[in-house]
Amino acid sequence: MAVGKCARDPSVYVRKCAANALSKLHDLRLEEHTASIEEIVGILLNDNSPGVVGAAAASFASVCPNNLSLIGRNYRKLCEILPDVEEWGQIVLVGILLRYVVAKHGLVEGSIMLYSCSLVKYNSEREDLKPRLAMTENPDDVGGEICSEIADVVSRSYLEGPEKYLSRLSCMDKNTSMDISHSTSSKSNDDVKILLQCTSPLLWSHNSAVVLAAAGVHWIMAPKEDVKKIVKPLLFLLRSSNASKYVVLCNIQVFAKAMPSLFVPHFENFFVNSSDSYQVKALKLEILSSIATYSSISAIFLEFQDYIRDQDRRFAADTVAAIGLCSQRLPDVAKTCLEGLLALALSESSNKNGASADEEAVLVQAINSIKTIIKQDPPSHEKVIVSLVRSLDSIWAPAARAMIIWMVGEYNNIGGVISKILPTLFSYLAGRFTLEAAETKLQILNACAKVLLRAKGEDISILKKIAGYLLELAKCDISYDVRDRARIMSNLLSHLIGSPYLEEVQDKPEIKDLSYVLIESIFGGQTKLPSSEPLSYRFYLPGSLSQIVLHAAPGYEPLPEPCSLIYDESCNFSTDVQGIKSPGVGVAHNEPNENDDSEAVSGSLDEENTSDYSSQESMIGSSESGGSYISRSASDVNDNAGPLIHLSDADLIHGNGAEVSEENDPSGSNGADELMSKGALESWLDENSGLNQNSSDISHVRKSLARISIKDIGGLVKPKSYTLLDPANGNGLHVDYIFSSEVSSVSPQLVCLHISFRNCSKEPMSDILLFEGESDRSPDSSDQSVSESSPVSRSEVPTLVPMEEIENLEPGQTMKRILQVRFQHHLLPLKLVLVSNGRKHLVKLRPDIGYFVKPLPMDIEEFSNKESRLPGMFEYTRRCTFTDHISELNDKNESSLVKDNFLLICEKLALKMLSNANLFLVSVEMPVAANLDDLSGLCLRFSGEILSNSMPCLITLTLKGTCSEPLDVSVKINCEETVFGLNLLNRIVNFLAEPTP
Amino acid sequence: MLQCIFLLSDSGEVMLEKQLTGHRVDRSICAWFWDQIISQGDSLKLVPVIASPTHYLFQVVREGITFLACTQVEMPPLMAIEFLSRVADVLSDYLGSLNEDLIKDNFVIVYELLDEMIDNGFPLTTEPNILREMIAPPNIVSKVLSVVTGNVSNVSNTLPGATASCVPWRKTDLKHTSNEVYVDLVEEMDAIINRDGTLVKCEIYGEVQVNSHLSGLPDLTLSFANPSILNDARFHPCVRLRPWEANQILSFVPPDGEFKLMSYRVKKLKSTPIYVKPQLSSDSGTCRISVLVGIRNDPGKSIDSITVQFQLPPCILSADLSANHGTVNILADKTCSWSIGRIPKDKAPSMAGTMTLETGLERLNVFPTFQVSFRIMGVALSGLQIDKLDLKNLPSRPYKGFRALTRAGEFEVRS
Repeated sequence: MAVGKCARDPSVYVRKCAANALSKLHDLRLEEHTASIEEIVGILLNDNSPGVVGAAAASFASVCPNNLSLIGRNYRKLCEILPDVEEWGQIVLVGILLRYVVAKHGLVEGSIMLYSCSLVKYNSEREDLKPRLAMTENPDDVGGEICSEIADVVSRSYLEGPEKYLSRLSCMDKNTSMDISHSTSSKSNDDVKILLQCTSPLLWSHNSAVVLAAAGVHWIMAPKEDVKKIVKPLLFLLRSSNASKYVVLCNIQVFAKAMPSLFVPHFENFFVNSSDSYQVKALKLEILSSIATYSSISAIFLEFQDYIRDQDRRFAADTVAAIGLCSQRLPDVAKTCLEGLLALALSESSNKNGASADEEAVLVQAINSIKTIIKQDPPSHEKVIVSLVRSLDSIWAPAARAMIIWMVGEYNNIGGVISKILPTLFSYLAGRFTLEAAETKLQILNACAKVLLRAKGEDISILKKIAGYLLELAKCDISYDVRDRARIMSNLLSHLIGSPYLEEVQDKPEIKDLSYVLIESIFGGQTKLPSSEPLSYRFYLPGSLSQIVLHAAPGYEPLPEPCSLIYDESCNFSTDVQGIKSPGVGVAHNEPNENDDSEAVSGSLDEENTSDYSSQESMIGSSESGGSYISRSASDVNDNAGPLIHLSDADLIHGNGAEVSEENDPSGSNGADELMSKGALESWLDENSGLNQNSSDISHVRKSLARISIKDIGGLVKPKSYTLLDPANGNGLHVDYIFSSEVSSVSPQLVCLHISFRNCSKEPMSDILLFEGESDRSPDSSDQSVSESSPVSRSEVPTLVPMEEIENLEPGQTMKRILQVRFQHHLLPLKLVLVSNGRKHLVKLRPDIGYFVKPLPMDIEEFSNKESRLPGMFEYTRRCTFTDHISELNDKNESSLVKDNFLLICEKLALKMLSNANLFLVSVEMPVAANLDDLSGLCLRFSGEILSNSMPCLITLTLKGTCSEPLDVSVKINCEETVFGLNLLNRIVNFLAEPTP
Repeated sequence: MLQCIFLLSDSGEVMLEKQLTGHRVDRSICAWFWDQIISQGDSLKLVPVIASPTHYLFQVVREGITFLACTQVEMPPLMAIEFLSRVADVLSDYLGSLNEDLIKDNFVIVYELLDEMIDNGFPLTTEPNILREMIAPPNIVSKVLSVVTGNVSNVSNTLPGATASCVPWRKTDLKHTSNEVYVDLVEEMDAIINRDGTLVKCEIYGEVQVNSHLSGLPDLTLSFANPSILNDARFHPCVRLRPWEANQILSFVPPDGEFKLMSYRVKKLKSTPIYVKPQLSSDSGTCRISVLVGIRNDPGKSIDSITVQFQLPPCILSADLSANHGTVNILADKTCSWSIGRIPKDKAPSMAGTMTLETGLERLNVFPTFQVSFRIMGVALSGLQIDKLDLKNLPSRPYKGFRALTRAGEFEVRS
């Protein structure tokens, strides 16, 4: 509350501190205050001073990051103020605005996010051969510029979070394109345009975090022609400290993967400096290899050559791997790469004496790169394999040897040369077999099997011998793996080798076939083209922590669902008190005077009729819906009244008044409350048009509203009962109390309570009495003193007007008494002493602030008059969610009774309010223009008077949402007594939000 | 948001701990962090973002002191890093430099500064000028005073006026007897020369540093003669961006004292002022090295404090190097530095020597990279020229001063 006051303080600094305080308050987890904290955040976001907005943005992010409607109210202003906000606030604010825009308008057509899906759609169209939609752009124009697959993954990951996306990938078809209807064009959409405009100066900020945040916005929202803008600022960030360099590079890496064309002209920036840390170097390499093009590859290769000679051998090994990647991307340079790599491998291998683990890595990586290059086009690289095989003698690293042998096995029949050297090679290998490492041994065995399968002509016998020899050797190996492999091999290859042990297997042809097929499938799988591996990269929003650590940090949220924020601006305006179009004010001005008493009459009338109410539910429901239909059509028909007409409950009441003669018939009058009979409508219209002439100066164009009167609710009100004493503590005495709506006759400061005593024990009780607990006097004397002081003295109102003593309470009997209590404080409990059977029980009577008011009957006009006199600091608003109606609606669906949802919800709300607080229901209004399911704009008004000082207290509930979902209720209280008003507000919000059992 | 900030000394001792939110972060995270550093070697020291089992750690290392920040939730990592480096900047500004003893001597100040700079994990005031106004920098007088009076707080009681004004970086009522403003162009040349001697990359990273002592609320306009050569630019928050977009004019209300007005980059320069030509040849276990340094393009002013530094490859056992000018030092970590100073007129400085390789190694397979540093006073090598500086809204005519300086940044020669 204090913070709320500070939030309106004239000093900028105070408001800023208030904004900072909010997130701390939120951390205290005072559940009942969250709504008011959010309200204050909203106020502060609306501030004019940039400093305050920055701090408010920070607290918004920590308090209610998903309450984007708060942003909606002053989006434009926030955008304009953005460049002036202090740098730390900018970072947060940019993120919030981005989320808002995505939620509100969806993604931008032509941005990187939607590029891929338009491509998919285009392709599918072509396949279908029936063009559905003329695409706004032809993807072929930019074909090749963007790696569409990755871009697609990136954009989906941003939206859904990578875990979800990756898991979905496995079960779903990849080609389900994103719903393009959720897109918008940045040219046509001002909100997007203004965001991009206001974030572009931030790219010049000297705070690297700001630059990255702004770049993220452009990356996601800007059309892809304009994404270029972010390149230079991002690259400039690389000149800042080592730490931020790493983070920036991580992000650039993603950008470069999805859209290499961005960074192609700037490849020089990724050249490695010797002062870079290893991680930075590795990142730079990766980026370089993903942005290399034919024009830049020569320069990049020159650089790579220098890197290979670097002192950091890990880095050199990475470089070699990068060369392999480059040649994969650009097949034309594969040959040069291969030559270079081969030379490197040979020179490295010649240096075998300087054996260190790092050196080895380079060599292994070189061979690996060679392998990947060869994979692309094996037949043309036969010579390379041969030369590698020749140097096998000098290559000592087991991993490298294993890879070379794998290549031999895999490509043994692609050309003439390899198959010729095979016998020599294998006899060489067999000779050295015992000296090899386990890894190499396994590879030798595999290669041997592959070769055997394809061997032709005279070589076969030699090879068979060698294979048999190898298998025998392997079976006696010290390594389990090798022995196992050897056993499997010898079984599988038995028919090829003609092993003497397994003749029985050979006898059975089907098994032989089977084993042959098995071998074929295991070893004969001829060089398949490497299938495109599923992209396992995880992408998170640019600039997020999760992107750096590559897993979703707690609190990471992907972008909101595009266009998830759909309710229109008007409901935002209606919560805005100063909104010109505020429907409540408008209606009030036009209120016919003569309705005052008629409403009161109908109110009392309905209380009488409540007994009939339940039986007539169905009829009322149908008539009500009919009525609203008529009212809608009526507003269409009556052109002369046109926009001036607004349907308020004046018509209903008027109708009621017209049919007052039918009062005897309960159904008739009750129905008339709800039903807008055509005659009544017409008569009202006549009257209204006259009124309009009278008050034409104040009637403006406004939303038409219909008012529903729910007068029959009184009897359904069931005040909540609280337990004062439960039988376990009170020797079987059960005491409940209910706050009653009666007003004390003794003093206005007293609150009436109905107390019911029930004897749950088996013995009778006697002398039950309640009295004030804090007095020092003995029970008897206190009883007397209280009763003595009961007449109202001006100076002192007694705490308790005593009840009559209950002489005797038989088992099972229940007795009721009325107690009048003056609570010292409207929140703190009152301590009382309950005496029964001579025993004292200390009990606490908890006050309910809802009963510190009494109903103040008034009509809508008076209400709005009073309301307008209590603006500003006498007005407090909070929001909460109302869910009670959902279960009811579900029940209703099952039952055959058709009842209007609107009515039901209104009733529920009103009932809940009246059951928990002693208020008067002034009016219920709903917008006519709204569609059937949309409750937004529905407005309930209550009035009350504070008991102690007779100050009026006005309560307005405004609903937002649809029937079937939890409703967003905004509760507004206008009351002169601030503390009381706020407490009452909290109470109302609490009981509205808690579901009825 | 950030939950905790630790300052670690270079031996891993926690010098300072500042909890920022209600959720206390246990100190054991530092022990974990230090264990990682020790086990993984220096390579980890340079990763700025580390995911520990319980927290995400951000680290910035400045002069042996590790600034460590922890968080458990998602936040922009650059924000944390940028903030930590801002803290480091402010601290070294307050304490003169950064080292363990200084921080330990000035605990109170450091805590006070952190209090002002961050609140509930969100950066609050980071503008050094404002901080200076709120918390007096340490000096002898205040130390004596605090000892004598026992009053240890040097937080000023009044709120700085600027917090409420629309130019939060400037005090509202400044008075200087002498009105002066100095504009310095400080440029750093980044270059990569590959082993063929060709210039792979050569660019200038420059900063416009302004030192202003002006009274009142002056409005300055700075324009360049040739702004088109600027490739990228970044600005201090005080710079109005609209005029820059329109006419490439810097219009700003300066903070008091020294600040970095803008930084810029000029790319694709054609030549470097000096050349460094290393030659290495190795044969049968020994390696001959010779390095030549000379002026390639005379910038018109003398080139000062030239040094050439390189890391000897790990496979070298011993080295014997000598130079005909300047001194050669080989440090324990195999860093060799040759400080030349100025290039004499009569001869070209050269360094030569032999190095023995590890036994068994015939030829050198890795080659060092030479880092060159130099300094040229009075010249901005990028060619950027300040056209004029207009001052408005000033009581008296101020004194304006301009300077330029170029030094080597990441100037590397590969061999």
